[in-house]
Amino acid sequence: MTAMVPSILPPLLLIGPLAVALFLLTLPWFRESLPEAFATDKGSVTLLERIHLGSVGYVFLLSIAALIQVLSSGAIAAFGDWLFVDALGAVFMMLIGVVGLMTGLYSIAYIRHDLESGAIDAGKVRIYYGFFSLFLFTMLLAVTANNIIMMWAAIEATTLGSAFLVGLYGQKSSLEAAWKYVIICTVGVAFGLYGTVLVFSNAADVLADPHQAVLWTALVGHAAELDPMLVKLAFVFALIGFGTKAGIFPMHAWLPDAHSEAPSPVSGLLSGVLLKCALLIVVRFYVITVGTVGTGFPQMLLLTLGVLSVGVSSLLFFVQQDLKRKLAYSSIENVGLIVVALGVGGPLGIAAALLHAINHSVTKALFFCSAGNVLMKYGTRDLRAVKGILRVAPATGLLMMGCALALAGFPPFNIFVSEFMVFMAGLNEGYGWIMALCALFLCITIAGLVRIVADSVLGKSPETMAKGDVGWKALAPLGVLAVLVLTLGFAVPQPLSTLVQQATTVVMNGDSRPVVAAPWQQYDTVRAGGQLVTGSLSQTEISK
Amino acid sequence: MNGFLIVNGLSGLLIVSSLLVTLAGNPANSARFYALQSFILVMLFVALAGATGSGELYLWSFTALLTKVILVPAIMYRAFRRLSDPAIGTGAVMPTALSIVGAAVALILCFVVASKVTLPAADAIKPALAVSLALFFIGLACIVAQRNILKQVFGYCLMENGSHLTLALLAPNAPELVEIGIATDAIFAVVVMAALGSRIFDTLHTLDARQLTSLKG
Repeated sequence: MTAMVPSILPPLLLIGPLAVALFLLTLPWFRESLPEAFATDKGSVTLLERIHLGSVGYVFLLSIAALIQVLSSGAIAAFGDWLFVDALGAVFMMLIGVVGLMTGLYSIAYIRHDLESGAIDAGKVRIYYGFFSLFLFTMLLAVTANNIIMMWAAIEATTLGSAFLVGLYGQKSSLEAAWKYVIICTVGVAFGLYGTVLVFSNAADVLADPHQAVLWTALVGHAAELDPMLVKLAFVFALIGFGTKAGIFPMHAWLPDAHSEAPSPVSGLLSGVLLKCALLIVVRFYVITVGTVGTGFPQMLLLTLGVLSVGVSSLLFFVQQDLKRKLAYSSIENVGLIVVALGVGGPLGIAAALLHAINHSVTKALFFCSAGNVLMKYGTRDLRAVKGILRVAPATGLLMMGCALALAGFPPFNIFVSEFMVFMAGLNEGYGWIMALCALFLCITIAGLVRIVADSVLGKSPETMAKGDVGWKALAPLGVLAVLVLTLGFAVPQPLSTLVQQATTVVMNGDSRPVVAAPWQQYDTVRAGGQLVTGSLSQTEISK
Repeated sequence: MNGFLIVNGLSGLLIVSSLLVTLAGNPANSARFYALQSFILVMLFVALAGATGSGELYLWSFTALLTKVILVPAIMYRAFRRLSDPAIGTGAVMPTALSIVGAAVALILCFVVASKVTLPAADAIKPALAVSLALFFIGLACIVAQRNILKQVFGYCLMENGSHLTLALLAPNAPELVEIGIATDAIFAVVVMAALGSRIFDTLHTLDARQLTSLKG
């Protein structure tokens, strides 16, 4: 592993949202000393919104700055290497920055609507924005942690930080969802702790300095010296533990409840970013395990759980009538597909998994926020009651249609590009029948998505429903996400493909540069003499 | 060698105390038994520190005394004392005898797994290692086979004690910060669970996990 460049950016990135969260959550104590304009309910909400916007903007700018530094000078580190951002972590840090900003902007309109409709009061607005920043902080901590115990603590903290967001509305169903979320994830992540403890104890025995045994970078370097039995056990525990948080079947039970009961911007953040952060930790353990026992054991586990996740969730997705629960099952399916790609392995499989994580994150955040618009307009998530969105709210209808087509994996949307890569990787590595099975399950999902478009987006709207879309503040951030979904569907931008290649190198623990591009871009890559490891559309591959 | 004998002996008491936590009649009593178990754990840490000559472990014992024996049980006792739902009784899904047999089976299985660990550090303390793993699974069983949501919180605490013991047994020289990180996180987890549990009781007037079934499908 090359030396890491010291940088102030990782701690700076963390301190902003943490400070905002602590300030907002302790605000009642300061309220008396605030200027008069902010002392009323309305004034205080305006103040909260400004602070919140500052927080998400700060996280966005700093994460992009850190990303640029990682791309230009390699992994960066701080605090005696306890914090670090390598290319792999940078992928997920970027997701937190971008999706955090967009769902953060969308929150303004959404929470105002909730406030006006009486679903929450001004006090809850403070709780919401405070925990929103805290949630961002805990996820950033998880992706910038090099200390494996801190990684675990951060993932545990994401649950604790977001539980109150899930239960924000304080109704029977939301409290129930919050309780299941906390119990299932905390217990799941306790497995993660056991796995972490096993790896650490093992390494502390092998490495001369126990302080090094706690660092992921040191563990990867010495993985070959660890005890195979303990590492296998640790991987199983870590996969169960962090897999619970990532929503992998059969540990996914919390996910549909939490995603459907949380306010929509938070659902977008949970599905778009949190699941991926937990997957990052699974990947980090995967790298250690491969170093100790080779690829066979971890890949077999990943493939099994991945295919099961895709299969079970596609069926549950199809029969579900609650829009947000439906989307939640789709998230399990996509996480399953990412896990399948990891299980397929090889540079192309890993790159496909990472690209699909990015694409799904953007698309699902957009879909959940669009569903939020539907909820604002119709006041229900029941698809039997939501009809004719396109007539009632044309922009939202268009967004919903775009999201459904994108999620179905149609070109020219981004999911097509990464799903195509996943299938190419699977076929190249000789997992034809597994890919065929996945394709079959994806067809069921497509049928479910077509139903959303046909019935809910295009169908006949209720006659009593007033026409007119939600305000521009709710639509603008979704417009930006939609542009991203389309742009990434036309072509993978060069900096992004470089980032994914570098991240793949981290996972493969050796230089490997698979082609990360849309199928139609790959002819250019071949012509330009790009290095093709596997999965290109070169003549030899086609003849295979 | 005597030090390790004490360690292995004390670990047996941990199994007994974990059963007391699981089978106690109400959450407030579970909190008392949990404090007892944590105290045994602290004694075990001290014995292990003596046997291995690890300075860090003495520090651990001290922080564990503060957090696990005093702070966490106090938080739970205060939060849970006023909450009671007579409708669910002890909340246990299985008969007591079956729970004890289950714990014994878990312990035997964990002995089999622990016997396969080849780490030199684990040689003298394999019985305790098996107990630490069993403690983890007894905690899990306490959550799965319990209707009272407050007692489910204790299940998590037992799991956490199990992980903590494994860490102490296999890596007695682990930096103190590692241990503080785990302990702090566990405190926050218990606080959040206690807060949520109280809100559920205030809103829904029940502690029964089987009543929390409006979300399905």
